[in-house]
Amino acid sequence: MTLDELKENDSAQIVQILDEQLEESLLNMGFIVGEDVTLDRIAPLKDPILITSGLNYISIRKDDAKKILIKKLIKTEFINNK
Amino acid sequence: MFNALTGLSQKTGNFPGVTVDKKSGFININNQPIEVVDLPGTYSLNPEAEDEKVAANTIKNINDDELIIVVADVTNLKRNLFLCTQIIDLGKPVVLVLNMMDLLQKSNQNIDIEKLSSLLQIPLVPVNARIKKGVNELKDIVANYQFKQASFSSDKLTPSERYEKITTIISACLQGGEANRWIDRTKKIDNILTHKIYGYLIFLSILFVIFQAIFSWSAYPMELIEEGFALLGGLVESWMPEGVLSDLIVNGILAGLSGIVVFVPQIALLFAFITILEDTGYMSRVSFLMDRLLRPFGLNGKSIIPLISSIACAVPAIMSTRSINNLKERLITIMVSPLISCSARIPVYTLLIALVIPAEEQVGIFNLQGIVMMGLYLIGFLAALFAALIFKWILKTTGKTNFIMEMPIYRLPRWSNVGFSVYNKVKVFLFEAGKIIIAISIVLWALSSYGPGDTFEKIEEKYTSSAYENENEDEINNLIASEKLEASYAAYLGKTIEPLIQPIGFDWKIGISLVTSFAAREVFVGTMATLYSVGDEDNTTSIREKMLQAKNPETGDRLYNKATTFSLLIFYAFAMQCMATLAVVYRETKSYKWPIIQVVYMGVLAYVSSWIVYTIFS
Repeated sequence: MTLDELKENDSAQIVQILDEQLEESLLNMGFIVGEDVTLDRIAPLKDPILITSGLNYISIRKDDAKKILIKKLIKTEFINNK
Repeated sequence: MFNALTGLSQKTGNFPGVTVDKKSGFININNQPIEVVDLPGTYSLNPEAEDEKVAANTIKNINDDELIIVVADVTNLKRNLFLCTQIIDLGKPVVLVLNMMDLLQKSNQNIDIEKLSSLLQIPLVPVNARIKKGVNELKDIVANYQFKQASFSSDKLTPSERYEKITTIISACLQGGEANRWIDRTKKIDNILTHKIYGYLIFLSILFVIFQAIFSWSAYPMELIEEGFALLGGLVESWMPEGVLSDLIVNGILAGLSGIVVFVPQIALLFAFITILEDTGYMSRVSFLMDRLLRPFGLNGKSIIPLISSIACAVPAIMSTRSINNLKERLITIMVSPLISCSARIPVYTLLIALVIPAEEQVGIFNLQGIVMMGLYLIGFLAALFAALIFKWILKTTGKTNFIMEMPIYRLPRWSNVGFSVYNKVKVFLFEAGKIIIAISIVLWALSSYGPGDTFEKIEEKYTSSAYENENEDEINNLIASEKLEASYAAYLGKTIEPLIQPIGFDWKIGISLVTSFAAREVFVGTMATLYSVGDEDNTTSIREKMLQAKNPETGDRLYNKATTFSLLIFYAFAMQCMATLAVVYRETKSYKWPIIQVVYMGVLAYVSSWIVYTIFS
């Protein structure tokens, strides 16, 4: 799946970035293939989005997010059944 | 950092694009002057944006006797070291400054400076530029610096390998793990500030508060300044012997000057607000909120920073467009920014609004003058969007566009920075604009105090003749003065262009002001002050009252009625009357084509809109 498909507050691992120029830009902002990424916020008009990886906190448009392949992390939280 | 080192006061902000050009200053170390050059911030040595290119190219081409000081935010060491180690690998001499040590301590972390220094093989200085801690240590290191070839990696690393190596180093030197505290707090604030509804509401409220503040808070100091100048004029007149010199000082220089000084409170407030918004990191969030809205107009979320800065002044705004990567988006931003009402229009707006709208009038709890003022800003903003649409349609598309922008962590504004910014802008306004204004005031005074041939003597002769013997002396003096003004050189100039501007409701006096304010808009007020005080014997009334009393010679009605005043307001909102902006557009686009297009399209827009407004109201 790609980064734009995540919901707010979902995390995933970056698998591949399909655009070389984009990959370099993201790298300079601290976003690296293999690292975790969280979608923090979708803008009120659905685009752009705010994402974090570690301490790096940036905005990116959905068009570019579509070029970022991710692997969703399995939630390890304990789910409390009431 | 640069300011702390050199003692200079350059503007800084909490987002990229504040420093967009090289700035230099000198420091004295052991009585040896050393030049310090401040470069725009960059994330990379191979950047796309214009401001980052300035930095990257300078770093790559430095001389042997120079050294690079890399200032890294210690709360995000990993990314900062990514760039730093790349510079080390270029074989350049580097001193690393670790900034924002206070934030590190607050989150109970500790960093082993010596260990990090030896691992990176470069000198390291922890500082806190906010409180100038560590600056002296940095000066010592710079003074005693001896270049030792360092290398972070001998082989060419892939970016991921480089990051891996950096991560290992950091985990060896940093105790307390990576700090999430600041970013967590920032995200919590973002939940509110970029909220679907509150986000926009907060942004609009902030703008509204700024406009109300500019109008109502500054009213009292403005009154004081006006009264002060009237008093000063009266004093000069009573001290100095009557004559040409006293006339020049009171009606030429003082009149022009007071028209300008009076707007200092408003401009100071405006720049204070803008600096606070930049410094806290809020501006980046506004970009985030606006990106989707601006895109259909061929603009970028990053365009909002120049567009908002244009409320203060188009010159720094146009320079800050360098952070927009895409050429077309950047060009459109440059072309439309001057349509946003800048601080130079404040004097013009304030004066003209006060002519037709009483200060006491309220709509609910809001001052009507403030609302009209805000309306003018809104019109300017809408016109900018409309112009952007047209440019988007005309201009060719170039390259890819993106909106990858760092969201800086929220910080309290540095009040000294706000103070510096306000002080600098007011200084520039007073001295740079003031120089032009005084020069123009003197020329105008001369042009309006003298007329061709013996016309002036003839007027005096006419009134000394027996026909006027029984009239009141004051009245005669006023008649002489106004007839003289109408016969002066200035009147000839104004009357020459009168046919052109009559359809939009302007007379020859306004015509002169249009000519003089091509240099800068605020000159309008000074020109009006000079023109109207030349026809006035006692200088007790302010320029506003004089303009209120002005009559249309043909109909006898008030000259500055709603039609003329609104037409004039719209003209000043749209017309390109600023040499400084044109100069900076030329510099940024490197061609005469764009500034010329700008003058023409804004001029046509202004004339047509004024004509429509004048026709509607008359």
